[in-house]
Amino acid sequence: MSEMSALSSLEKILGSKELLYTLLLLSVILPILHPLGIPVEISRRTIDVYEYIETNLRPGCRVYIEVYYEVAARGELEPNLIALTKHLFDRGCRIVYGSLSAFGVIAFSLFKSMAADVLEGKEYGRDYVYLGYIAGGEAATASLARSIKGTISVDNYGNRLEDLPLMKEVDKATDFDLVVIVSSGTDIFAYYVRQWHTPYGVPLLFACLSVIAPSIEPFVGAKQAVGMLVGQRSAAEYEVLVGRLGLGIASMDAQSTSHMLIVAFIVIGNAIYWRRRISSKRGGSR
Amino acid sequence: MSLVLRKYVPQTIVSIIIVLTVVFYYFYVSKEIAGTFTTADKALSDWVVIIMSFALIVGGIDILRFHLARIRREGMGQAPFSTVTIALLVLMVVFALHGWYLSYADPAAGIAITTQPQFRWLYLNVYAPADAAVYSILVFYIASASYRAFRVRNPMALLLLITALIVVFGNTTIGGLIWPGFLPLRDWIMTVPNTAAFRPITIGAGLGVIILGLRLLTWREISWMGRRE
Amino acid sequence: MISWDVLGAWLCAAMVVWIYSFAYRDNALYKLAEHMFVGTAAGYSIALALDSLNRVVVSPAVRSPGTFWTTSWHYLVPVALGILLFAKYSRKYYWLARYAVAVNIAVGSGLALRTVPIANIVRQITATILPLWGSDPVKVLNNWILVLITLGGLTYFLFTIFPRVAEGARPSPTYRVYRSLYYIGIYGMMVGFGALFANTIMTRVGFLISIYLIYIQPEAWAATVAAILAAIAIILGILRKR
Repeated sequence: MSEMSALSSLEKILGSKELLYTLLLLSVILPILHPLGIPVEISRRTIDVYEYIETNLRPGCRVYIEVYYEVAARGELEPNLIALTKHLFDRGCRIVYGSLSAFGVIAFSLFKSMAADVLEGKEYGRDYVYLGYIAGGEAATASLARSIKGTISVDNYGNRLEDLPLMKEVDKATDFDLVVIVSSGTDIFAYYVRQWHTPYGVPLLFACLSVIAPSIEPFVGAKQAVGMLVGQRSAAEYEVLVGRLGLGIASMDAQSTSHMLIVAFIVIGNAIYWRRRISSKRGGSR
Repeated sequence: MSLVLRKYVPQTIVSIIIVLTVVFYYFYVSKEIAGTFTTADKALSDWVVIIMSFALIVGGIDILRFHLARIRREGMGQAPFSTVTIALLVLMVVFALHGWYLSYADPAAGIAITTQPQFRWLYLNVYAPADAAVYSILVFYIASASYRAFRVRNPMALLLLITALIVVFGNTTIGGLIWPGFLPLRDWIMTVPNTAAFRPITIGAGLGVIILGLRLLTWREISWMGRRE
Repeated sequence: MISWDVLGAWLCAAMVVWIYSFAYRDNALYKLAEHMFVGTAAGYSIALALDSLNRVVVSPAVRSPGTFWTTSWHYLVPVALGILLFAKYSRKYYWLARYAVAVNIAVGSGLALRTVPIANIVRQITATILPLWGSDPVKVLNNWILVLITLGGLTYFLFTIFPRVAEGARPSPTYRVYRSLYYIGIYGMMVGFGALFANTIMTRVGFLISIYLIYIQPEAWAATVAAILAAIAIILGILRKR
């Protein structure tokens, strides 16, 4: 009986949200202040993406990047975007960025300030262009695939697209050698698969939040995308591959400790549950 | 007559547009018609881009009206907060309009709506952190729910837990220290059983889109019309 | 004189801390931050809609009117339709807004309809038609798992007509196959949901970490002050309720 009461008091203590939240905050903050330095293994899938870009993109290639994530998702997607941008620039590619989400404008502006070193020496208009926000969802995706300049006439900063050297070379989906979708929403991947890949066969590369990776995996499995970078873990791996360490790698230790905390809580919760279930069964048979 | 204008004409427009967009995409009649269709098709998608922009403005105005109504209804307890909302909304729009004006009056300055300094300050220092915090607060509930609700009661839950643990150890770097096999195992789970599990859902979603289209075409789907006649 | 940058950084930290304080208890500062969020979000979406409109319609019409009136004159139709959306505020003419919504959903639905059969259905099915015999045992096993779980999931979701078994009679082979596929489907989905759950933790914790790294750590003082204010607000709220 005393064992049962001890169990319930333990359950009560652990069940108090204040304790759990404080532990969670500590498990995030402490490893950032005192890094553990656990090495990051690189997954085969991330290497595949890296090698795809290495072998298929030559200097002068044109890449379209969809920036579609809200500020909350910055931690997971911005390191991916920065590392990919660095890799593409290192390969000599030129990049057109666009956003089908209004958040994208903030995300891109924050990306520009975080990735100042990557964009250094790159000229706006010649090496990269940001189209800005285009409303309309799937219809906008379809419209851009047919003609970018036929959809919008000026970029995010008020420059006429006709005046930008890069935009003189590209206009429609088939002008691009690769399309990267960096997104925190599920639908946008389907839009690009339906409006860019299916009619025009443009190769797509996904960079998504961890939480939506499972649901868009079928597209990658069906070869409708050349690969996928998943959240902070892939970002950390890609940062190692391109040699520019940033937010992705900085978060890995804190990810480990906080995950272990949550796992510990799940295990303890189940241990208490089974202990009680077994002892109540025993009590019943007696 | 009024019912025709209110209900049947919009529904007919829906049916005609759906039929045209689908039929011309699949059936090739002649080069000329295909060319005309391409132009018309592009125009239609641009139309949606424009209409959606207006829809967003309507949405913003809805929030304004909602908070005006709240001030009227709930009195002093709510008034200060709703006033903050309305004031910030109006400020954002005013700054944006200022940026818009500058982009035409003084193009050399290079200021557009999204780069207007005060507008930028507001979205970077109020909107951005608030948005990030609102979405990330879920982490606390996920943690607390995994402790309270994640109970292994049957074999299915056990399978779910085991998979979750493997993926957790594969996702984190500490898993690699425990056993280097977690990472490839996670990749296998994601590419084989997980892909297979979500594939029927993808197919189901595709069927859903088709069924919705057919319902719109045959006037069965009327929820988009708002209030009922 | 405090610079706007410093003020902004403090405001960032305060917004985050005040919204997080809701995890502990509702309080006045959370409510303030929430209302600030809603106000800026609504203003932002109006502004960005204007920006999009500007770049699609207004700018070409003003800067190169010649080309606009010859090639893009039809943009006046959606502009008129867009203005009709405001009719929804009228009691009498609310139905005018339906014309805009009609074009909107019809185009969206039509565009999706023409590629969905290939993208979501045909390509998914062809990706599941895999060789079930071969020299590489690992590959063969993976193919079996892929095919069986996909068929199982389809059985569970789509082919939901369960074969009947008469009372006392032995279940037919069809029934057995159907039933085993059904369970393979369920267990396969459990694996999928397990992966989903683990990835959800990853994302949510990632959000928390990035917020800490971006907003809180650089402005630790601001965060501390904001946290103390939030604590006071929580205590005051409790006292007032009593």
